[in-house]
Amino acid sequence: MSLLARHLEANGIPTVIMGCAKDIVEHCGVPRFLFSDFPLGNSAGRPFDVGAQARTLELALRVLESAPAARTTVQSPLRWPDDASWKLDFDNVERMTPEQIAERRRHFDDIKAIAKSKRDAVERR
Amino acid sequence: MALAAEYDVPIPYMQRTRDYYVKLGYPAYRWAHFAEVPFTPLATPLVQARLALITTAAPYQSGVGDQGPRAPYNAAAKFYTVYSEPSDVIPDLRISHVGYDRVHTTAEDPNTWLPLAQLQQAVKAGRLGALTPRLHGVPTNRSQRVTMDADAPEVLRRCRDDGADVALLVPS
Repeated sequence: MSLLARHLEANGIPTVIMGCAKDIVEHCGVPRFLFSDFPLGNSAGRPFDVGAQARTLELALRVLESAPAARTTVQSPLRWPDDASWKLDFDNVERMTPEQIAERRRHFDDIKAIAKSKRDAVERR
Repeated sequence: MALAAEYDVPIPYMQRTRDYYVKLGYPAYRWAHFAEVPFTPLATPLVQARLALITTAAPYQSGVGDQGPRAPYNAAAKFYTVYSEPSDVIPDLRISHVGYDRVHTTAEDPNTWLPLAQLQQAVKAGRLGALTPRLHGVPTNRSQRVTMDADAPEVLRRCRDDGADVALLVPS
């Protein structure tokens, strides 16, 4: 998505990204970014919270119209409702047992095989 | 104002993923990185602008397994070419094909990854001029080269065809 924002912007279309992975988006380098410090999957706001979703969009629009230069990141002041310890869980190998890691590896290999066969089928068309 | 916990910072996804790949025995992933960043100042006030919404969510596909709330990672639900959907209704787009946080979120409310209802509301309220007639979906599972050489030019072409003045991109 960051690569796409850069391409549109370079071709004259101003962009803003709404996202939850701050380091990855900023590492790529994008024109405008509204960062929500939420679990991945919630770029547009908290679930079943219409007010927070409206506020998230309004913040993105404000970033779009007021960013003074590229690499403008604004962090939404909204917080994820739970205790911040959710941040310790995502793909954290320090919290996984050897059995869980082995299971993850099997699952990852399955996913890659399925994705590859599907991609090959699309490319053969 | 109380001090926050030491870990209460944005998740360092790149480091987490590096550690995760090493532990699982996979080669390191290299994220795209640029020293220079393009910037186009807004030429049209938003109240007159036509906005294109761009998503990485996937159209629901029958026969490829669970794509609903709490679905396990579903690689069979992936897609590999840019698609477009009308923006005046709410299309059935899902996120079972990507690695969202399955421990702390459930994917029950599509408005968390597709702000289309909010955008339609913003147009009604006069905050935004209009939406382009179509929103666009981009695949995320291919190489950075394919994204740059094929998908990005295709989305640009569709945005131009639709007269987009600005774009909102929402990764799932």
